[in-house]
Formats: sequence, C-alpha cells, structure tokens
Amino acid sequence: MSAARWAGVAALAAGIAAVVAAPYVLPSYTVSLLTLMFIAALLASSVNLLAGLAGLVSIGHAGIAAAGAYGVAWATVHGLGLPAALGVAAALTLAVSVVYALTTMRTSGIVFLMITLALGITVFGLALKLSSVTGGQNGLTGVRRPGMVGEWWQYYFFTAAVYGACLLVLAAMSRSPFGLTLRGIRESQSRMTSLGYSVTAVKFVAILVSGAFAGCAGVLLAWNSEFLSPSVASFSRSALAVVIVIVGGVGTLLGPLVGAGIVVAAEYWLSSYVERWQTVLGAVLILVVLFAPRGIVGGLEGLAGQLTHRPRKEGS
Amino acid sequence: MIPRRWKRQRRAARLVLVVLAVALAASACAPDEDTGGGETGGTVKLGFISPVTGFVAALGTDMRRGWEMYWQQNGGKAGDVTVQTVFEDDTGDPEVALTKARRLVEQEQVQLVAGPILANTAYAVAGYVAGRGLPTVQMTGADDLTQRKFDPLVLRVGYTSSQSNFPAGQWAYEQGHKTAVTICPDYAFGWESCGGFVSAFVKAGGKIERQVWHPLGTQDFSTYVAQARQANPDVVFIGSAGGPDAILFYKSWTGFGLKDRIPLVGNCCFADQVFLREVGEEALDLQSFTYWSEGRDSPLVQRFVQAYEQQHKEIPSLYAAGAYTMAQVIAEALKKTGGKIEGEDFINAARQVSLSESLYGALTFDDTNNVVGPVYRTRVQRRDDGTLWSVVEQTFPEVSQFGTEGKEAFLEHPVFSRDYTGQ
Amino acid sequence: MTLDEFLLQALNGLSFGALLFVLASGFTLVFGLMHIVNLAHGAFYLVGGYVGIVTATATGSFLAAIVAGAATAAVIGLASERLLLRRVRGKELPEVLLTVGIALVVADACLAAFGGNPRSIPVPSVLSESVRLGDITYPTYRLFVISLAVALGALLYVVQHRTRFGALIRAGVDDREIAESLGIDVPRVFTAMFVFGAALAGLAGVVAAGLLTLRPGADIDILLFALVVVVVGGLGSLEGAAVGSALIGLVDAFSKVWVPEFSYFAVFAPMAIVLMFRPAGLFGRSRT
Repeated sequence: MSAARWAGVAALAAGIAAVVAAPYVLPSYTVSLLTLMFIAALLASSVNLLAGLAGLVSIGHAGIAAAGAYGVAWATVHGLGLPAALGVAAALTLAVSVVYALTTMRTSGIVFLMITLALGITVFGLALKLSSVTGGQNGLTGVRRPGMVGEWWQYYFFTAAVYGACLLVLAAMSRSPFGLTLRGIRESQSRMTSLGYSVTAVKFVAILVSGAFAGCAGVLLAWNSEFLSPSVASFSRSALAVVIVIVGGVGTLLGPLVGAGIVVAAEYWLSSYVERWQTVLGAVLILVVLFAPRGIVGGLEGLAGQLTHRPRKEGS
Repeated sequence: MIPRRWKRQRRAARLVLVVLAVALAASACAPDEDTGGGETGGTVKLGFISPVTGFVAALGTDMRRGWEMYWQQNGGKAGDVTVQTVFEDDTGDPEVALTKARRLVEQEQVQLVAGPILANTAYAVAGYVAGRGLPTVQMTGADDLTQRKFDPLVLRVGYTSSQSNFPAGQWAYEQGHKTAVTICPDYAFGWESCGGFVSAFVKAGGKIERQVWHPLGTQDFSTYVAQARQANPDVVFIGSAGGPDAILFYKSWTGFGLKDRIPLVGNCCFADQVFLREVGEEALDLQSFTYWSEGRDSPLVQRFVQAYEQQHKEIPSLYAAGAYTMAQVIAEALKKTGGKIEGEDFINAARQVSLSESLYGALTFDDTNNVVGPVYRTRVQRRDDGTLWSVVEQTFPEVSQFGTEGKEAFLEHPVFSRDYTGQ
Repeated sequence: MTLDEFLLQALNGLSFGALLFVLASGFTLVFGLMHIVNLAHGAFYLVGGYVGIVTATATGSFLAAIVAGAATAAVIGLASERLLLRRVRGKELPEVLLTVGIALVVADACLAAFGGNPRSIPVPSVLSESVRLGDITYPTYRLFVISLAVALGALLYVVQHRTRFGALIRAGVDDREIAESLGIDVPRVFTAMFVFGAALAGLAGVVAAGLLTLRPGADIDILLFALVVVVVGGLGSLEGAAVGSALIGLVDAFSKVWVPEFSYFAVFAPMAIVLMFRPAGLFGRSRT
C-alpha cells in the first residue's frame, strides 16, 4: 500500500481506538454526549445518502426516525419482547418510508424539499394527535433499553458499533452499482432515463434505504432517552440533520459524524456555558459556508488531495 | 458481481471488524462509575432546569428569577447549610432537558434536581433522575405525575392541572349557571384543566353544552369564540396555558363583544401577569380560579412582589412564585434533615413540611407527594399605581388533587382526557 | 353554517391570507430574481415586528412603527446580501444554508434584545374598533390588513409591469446573462431586490404584531406558512403569492371549523394537490 493508504488506515485505527477508549478516560456525561453524536450522525447519514448521492435534500427525515422510535417505544411499553419491538419499529419505518417515497419519487430539487418538509410536519402532528397510542404531547415513559446494553457505557459501545456498521454499509453502497446509478441521477435525470434507467424506481428504493437508516437512528434515540415525545419528529430536528450534513460535507462518508460532533457540542456542551450558543452555531454555519463550502470533511479531503499531489478522485 | 474495488477495501473492512470485536470485548469491562451526590461539609448542590430560550422562554426566565430570589432573601442558606445551584436551559425540548439533567447529575454531581416546567420535559427528567436514585422537585401541572405515575422520589410543589378547577366548577354552578361551555387547548394540560372544571360542575348538577378544543399555538380564535357563542351557555370556562394563546383568545372574545354578554371564568394560568401586561385595561374585572394571586393581602406575598418588582421591574408571575415556593419547601426540608439529601428520606422530610404561610397560602402535602392548599377566586383590579393585578375575593381552603372524591375513587377512573364529559 | 358564519370565517381566512401575502410577496420576489430560498425571511419578519412594537410603544405612532420595522429588516437584509450572500452567488445549497445561519443569529439576537414574553403592538384607536357588516361585528384591524395587502399587491404589480425598475427585474428574471450583457448592473439590482424583500418581511412583522403575538419561534411558524404559500402559488410569481396566500388563509380558517382534528395538516392538502398536478405551482414556471 502507498504512504497515503497507510496514513489513512492509521488514522482509521486511531479513530477507532479513541472511540473504544472514551468511556475509560472521559466522564460519563461526555460519553453520553458522544452517544448522542453517533445517533445524530446516523440520522444525518441517512439524509446524506439522498443528498450526497442522489442530490435530493430532505428536510423531513426526522419524521421517518420518529416512526422507528415510536414503533420500538410503543412495543416496549406494551410489554413486547425485543424481537417483536424491533419488528414493529421496522414495519412502521418501512410504512412511513414508503409514503415518503411514493409522494416524492417523481420530484427533485425544491419540490422534493417542500414535500419532505410537509411530511415531517405531518408525522409530528400525528404523534401529537394519536395520543392514545403515542402518549400525545406528554410522551411515553419507561422505554427500557435491552438489558444487555442498559449501562451508559454499554449503550455507548452499542451505538458506536451500530453507527460503524451502518457506515460500512453506506461506504459499500456508495461504490456499488446502485450508488453509481444514484450519482448518475444527481448529474442528470434525463440522461439516465435515456440510458434506460427507471429513475423513479431507483429513487423509490433509495428513499426506502435511507429511511431504514433513519429508522435505526430513531430506535437508538428512544432507547437512549428511555422516553419519547413528538419533538423527535419536529421540523428543527430535521433541519438540524440537514445542517449537520452540510457542515460536515455533503456526499462525504465521515461528514455527518464531524457535523454531528459540532452541532451536538454547540447544543449541549456550549449551551451550558454560553447563553447565546445559538448565535455561535449560526456564526459557525456562516463561516463554514463561506470558507469551507464543501463542508469540513470535504474541505479536508480537498486539502489532503493537494498535499499528496493526487488528482482529485471523481465523484466523491 | 462484487466490484473489484470492494476486494481492495476488504483489508480495511477486516481491520475495522477486528477492532469492533475488541470494542465489544472491552465492553465487558465496566469503566469507573462517577459517584454522585456527595455533600462537602455544610454545602448542598442543587440542579435547576427551566426553559430560558425557546417558545416558553418567558416562563423559564421567571422561574429562574423566583428561585434565585428565595436564596437571595435567605443568604443562600437553609438553616446552617449553604445551598449552591447549577442552572441549565432545557429550551422546552425533552431531549435537551434529559441531556441537561444528565449533565447536572453526572458532571456537576448535584444532589437534587428542580424543574423543568413543560410536562413532557418534566416526565423525561423525573424518569431519569429518579432512576439514578436522586430526588426531584417539580412544579409542572401534569396530573399523573403524583397520581397514576407516582414515584416516591418525585415531589410536586404545586397544583395539578385539574386541582384548582374543582372549586371553579362547583362555584360556577352555585352562582346559578346551569349550562357551561369549556374552551381548552387540545393536549394533556388542556384536557386535565377542563376535566377538573367539568367533573365538579357536572357533579354539582350542571350541564356542559359544548367542549371546545383548540390546537396549542392557535393564532386565530374567532372560530372557537363563535362556537362558544353559538351554544349560548350561562358561563364559559377557559382553561388556558397562558401566554400568546390566552392573549389572542381574549382579544377575540372582546372583539366579538362577548365580554359583557357571557360570564367568563379563567383557570390558574389564564389571566397571569404575562397576559395582563399585554392585554391591559380590557382585562379589568376578569375572574379566575388560581393558586397564585399577586394582589393577595399577605405580608409574605407583598414583600415578595415588592422585592421582585424592584429587581426585575415586573410583577412576578406564577412561574416566579412557583419556583420561589419550590425553593422554600426544599429549604424547610433541608432544615429537617440537617442538610442531608438522601433519596426517599429527603422526599419524606419534604412531604412533612407544613407551611402556615407561603406564596400560595397554607400548604401541606398528601401521601402521593402533591400539594394540598388553598385555591383563590380572584378578580383583576388596578393597583394604586395603576398596574393591573389579581386580588382575592374568595378562598377555598385545603383543596386536594383528588377534588372531593378521595384518592381511591378518583384513581379508579383514567386520567382526564379529551373524551371526558363528566359522566 | 349560516351565511353570517361563512362570511365571518371567510374574512378571517382572508385577513390571515393578507398577512401571508405581505410576507410571501417579498420571499417570492427574491426567489424569482435571485433564485435564493431565503430561510431568514421569518427572522426578518420577527425583528421587524419587535422593532415596530418597541417604536409604537415609545412614540405612540403606528406609522413610525411600520417605518422603523421595515427599515430595520431592510438594513439587516442589506448587510446579509452585501457581506455574505454575494460571496456564494449562484450556488443554491450554500445560499440556503447561509440564510439558515443568518436566521439563527437574528432570531437569537431578538431573544436577547426583546426577551421571551409574547408581545403585540398597540394598535391605533381608529383601527382597534369593530365594524358592523350586516349581522356580524368584525374587527377593523383585520379589514385594514386586507386593504393593506390589496394596496401592496396593486403597487407591486404596477411597479413590476409599468416601471423601468420593474422592467429591469423582469429582464433579470427572464435571462440574467443577456440582461448583464445589455449593461444592466445586475448585482445592484439583486441587492435592491433583497433589501426590498427584507423590508416587506419587516412590514409583515409589524402588521402581524397587531393580529397575532410575536415570541421566540414565531419566525419559524410563519416561515412554514410562507413556504406553503409560495409552493402553491409558484416560486417567483407575485400572482401566485396572492392567490396562494388567499387560498391558504381560507383553508386554514375553514378547516378549523369543519375538520378541527386535522386543521394542523389541512394547509398541506392544497400543497399536495398542486404539487401532484402542477409541480411548479399554480403560476410558476418550471425550471430546468
């Protein structure tokens, strides 16, 4: 392997070592923030899948995450065992993803954005209205985690592992024929159609796949808080996911993680010390857009490319 | 079928999987736990969560001010024990509230958590803090917190959403109003508020012509006001959560000329100071049933109002008064336990606290950790200097969260919901 | 439903729709010319409204409040466009994200400056009465809002179709490159339009403060309505904003009476229908 390759593997190993070491060197609260970071990164990754590969920006993905979250929460509160609870979450996530897909598969750009916006808000409204099932505004309490990952550090490893696994799947997908087809659609839908691809069908599948990741994030979120209320489907959660994707770098693999780190740090760590943390977050956003337009990871990749004098690989 | 590039990635993937396996193995070894809740000498550390930003920023800010005022007036001490508070902002979001509660407990090592205010944030925080074995003191109204979802580590220094409306329903009927229309926001707080009024009004013999539910955050109340007018009741009960909804409702109400046509009765939180500051003159003579009356003729209340006004240039709202009273009860409990905060022992001590005078009046607690105290029928009047406030016209002493039914009978039926019609 | 009730609800819908028009017109004009989805529009509305409230309370003049509110929003819009948006001209996603950042900063500044209490504007007594329309009494202020929106719509139409400035705008919308090659100072026109759009948002905020209340989060609430209006009406079209806001206002009002359970989602129904049959909106032009 080349020097750059070794550097990459070393960085990866160092990163993983840091993740593994965290609960032993950091206080439990910080580790719980890292858990939140991984969950946010997972949701953002689901948004990134559509935005980065297919050029479709969804500002309503918190709605799909909520489906997974409410599925597992409802099932747990009603005493269903783990496999059944996951089954309910999966079924609900699939159902909601199908609705998202059917309503948006023929659209793109601003229209896609607006429909996903409406869908997200609709899910939020349903979570509020169907109070006999969802607990309404007061929410559902007592959503116990599976016994094996009950402790804070166990849950942290679990979340990190799930995120890592999803990352591998996303990486593989990005390089797969399916991923290339999605990129083709981002470049030019009409060209893909003329090449014989059913653009609508591909988008449909992509939204379902993206929804699966979002649903996962929802389940992780419900278990993390052991509580659930409609705010998980709120517009600001969806919007934050998009912000995370763009700050990290659209289409990059690790962008969502970096973006999530920054946003979680601002929302929870910074806010304890600075009352005007939202101003700081807004300012960070502005700076990233102006000076790192491909996001932080995108910018770093570009920098690394320049440093190693390699021509930029196409389609990243 | 596998693309050639994937084979090259396999080495990296294997490395990752190996490390993940190591991580899983490592997860078998628990790291050191942060021990919480140690008291150092004569100091206790309390956590206080309220929404200082977000759509209920006014409530959270008032809460913080009320809490701080108590400790200011008492030298930051409860008896001999020094009290430190760490403040956190929950922005009105349960996820944030929960994470901030984690911070307070695990990083700041507080011994008790007070607040937050919104029901879903309160449930999230209480669930977590109680799960860690620490006591929590709440002022949110959510009925079930001290009823069907009772937890021995949770104390409510405040009234349930339905509690102060029992006397309202009874009184309304006794005034000769045989029919009523209720208007409440369409979520748990609204259901519980109207539920309190309805249950008492129907029990006394009255008839509910119509129950009008509006979504929280409604901007245009004319539809709902029109519905109320159409039913032509003897009295209308408004169970508002306060803030913009109350203001906008009342603007509609007066705008359609109903102020002098149909008697209106408000709940605890309808004609609060936030409302009065905005609505002004039109609010004169408005009647409410509440537990906080800033015009109440009590030396403690007037001292508090004066001091608060001097510092913050506003008359304190019920959120400020509530947080002040939370602090007061905690201080009294600390005096009883000698400065120790140990789980249920502390809550038990707090429950024994009996105040002959507080901002709410004479307070005791029942055995599910909720306040038993007076409810006042108030009227909006002008103070000497022209500002509006509510003064007490009638006192209903020792109102319990179970109304007149008694605990067992009350808990037989489910929590007040949208479908409750009083039968 | 009696005729009186129908009239009442229709007026409610139209008055709310009128407010939405004042807000959405600025939004759609900015998009039409510059292709910027300005998500800070709600924040401009909020800051304009707050400044208007403070001005009205201090001076007692509603007119001064309107001027102050619109001007404040305009200045912030100017700063945003000249200092920030210009640097990412033409790149859609960065532009939108920049406006999100601006929205966060402006909204937080409002919280810091004006506090969390819900505020509304003291309305001049001539507008705070009610008027008899047949059997119903209707608040004068709401009728004022409707008239304001109609007047504004007429003014914008005249400017767009009968003045030189309007011709410049239409040229820029139709074909930017040709307009530039004809010597039109397109960047300046863009700035002017953005500032104007912001001023309209500020105006909407001041007017709204007499109808609703302003508080933290009101910027997002109203922005969502504005987005629905322009999607229904067609991004970039003034006629679309007019028809869209009237439609959404009416749907909002009547759904509260007829289907109160679903009034929350009701406004999305027209949006869904329009997107199914005319994805570019009722009066929109499809962009390739």
